[in-house]
Amino acid sequence: MRSQSYYNRKGLTVKDLVTTGIFTALFFVTMLVGGIVFAPNPVLTFYMPLGSALLGGPVLMLLIAKVPKRGPIAIVGILCGVIWFATGMHWAMDLGYIIGGIAGDLIAGSKNYKSKVFNVLAYICISLGATGTYICYFADKKAWSQYMLNGGTAKSYIDTMNSAAQNWMLAVILGGTILVAAFSAIIGLKLLKKQFEKAGITA
Amino acid sequence: MSAIRFDPRTKLVLLFMCVLCTMFAPSLTYELFLVILAAVFGLLSGQYRYTFFGLIAYCLIFLATKLSIYHLTGIWQAIFIAFFGLVNKVYPCGFMAGIMIATTKTGEFMAALYKIHMPDSFVIPFAVMMRYLPVVKEDWNSITDAMKMRDVSPSLKGTIMHPVMTAECLYVPMMMAASNTADELSIASVTRGIENPNPRTCLTKINFSVKDVLAVCFILIYFIIGLLIRRGLL
Repeated sequence: MRSQSYYNRKGLTVKDLVTTGIFTALFFVTMLVGGIVFAPNPVLTFYMPLGSALLGGPVLMLLIAKVPKRGPIAIVGILCGVIWFATGMHWAMDLGYIIGGIAGDLIAGSKNYKSKVFNVLAYICISLGATGTYICYFADKKAWSQYMLNGGTAKSYIDTMNSAAQNWMLAVILGGTILVAAFSAIIGLKLLKKQFEKAGITA
Repeated sequence: MSAIRFDPRTKLVLLFMCVLCTMFAPSLTYELFLVILAAVFGLLSGQYRYTFFGLIAYCLIFLATKLSIYHLTGIWQAIFIAFFGLVNKVYPCGFMAGIMIATTKTGEFMAALYKIHMPDSFVIPFAVMMRYLPVVKEDWNSITDAMKMRDVSPSLKGTIMHPVMTAECLYVPMMMAASNTADELSIASVTRGIENPNPRTCLTKINFSVKDVLAVCFILIYFIIGLLIRRGLL
């Protein structure tokens, strides 16, 4: 059959693609639910990646277990990046998810999607995508708000900004995201073992 | 005035230009005019209510930003300026994206994606995802109803008292339902010929016309003006 070979050549069947799509929807919702608490709050907005990373682990772990082939993790990352782009999020975050997804796929793929540690690492990679915006902010704090001040940046403002947003915050955001993502993915692996493997819905 | 239908690809280009404009925005006023341009686009596309409320919301944000720059001091000023910096970078694009999503059907969007030669491994998951997002909400409602019947509260209090229990009760049915739907949906789409290797057809005509070129020209000019102001040439 011609159509069958057409899809087998790529390695992913229609079923795999549909599964990936559905789990991306779930994954996206978990990011939204986790991040929504942080994003609109001026004080907490910097810790948004931590919230987004908290809930998605089990979803991605089950997806890897269901479709252990090259591609799905990258597709999840790319789709999330595109959707965030289409909802108008900051470009660094969109790009972060795409890069994180592809990197995660390569990492998990290097052990054929069987190694638990590497799957957890893949989830951490994807979660780090959300930190793109903040890396951008810390890379050039002055440029971030300068356009709002109409060129003339007040000296007092720069001083307070340097004291309020110190560089250790970036370390906290990155480190915190890694920890939260690892926690979430490990919970996911536990759930997988306890519930889904028994039910026989993993591949 | 009847709504003008723009090509989905034009909308994508406009959104991308919006992102570029906010990236290189030279001043807050520039952002305000960008939002106004997006509002004009919204009115042309026939999204009157959305445009109206979107504009009012941005005016409030604009005022709040100005207030926080000139009337706050110390650490609060720093925090709020960083926060509003993000909001101002995101809002015009989000506004534009809202118009795009409201005026484009998923089928049209898929046809446009195929026209710009996106591979199947991107378009199929994308379409399935758009289709499944509302279902997640429905599933969530029925799961929380079921949880209440079995005395597991999905509220904040219940989550704090029994975190493991609540998480398991939410995740397990949610993901079971998802994986069952994945099976059903792939069977349904295969029987409807998704594996057909021929190019996909679409009932809605999708092609560029004068209005699309005009819209893209407008935003390009605006972007160039922004760059010139930024370099101090204007």
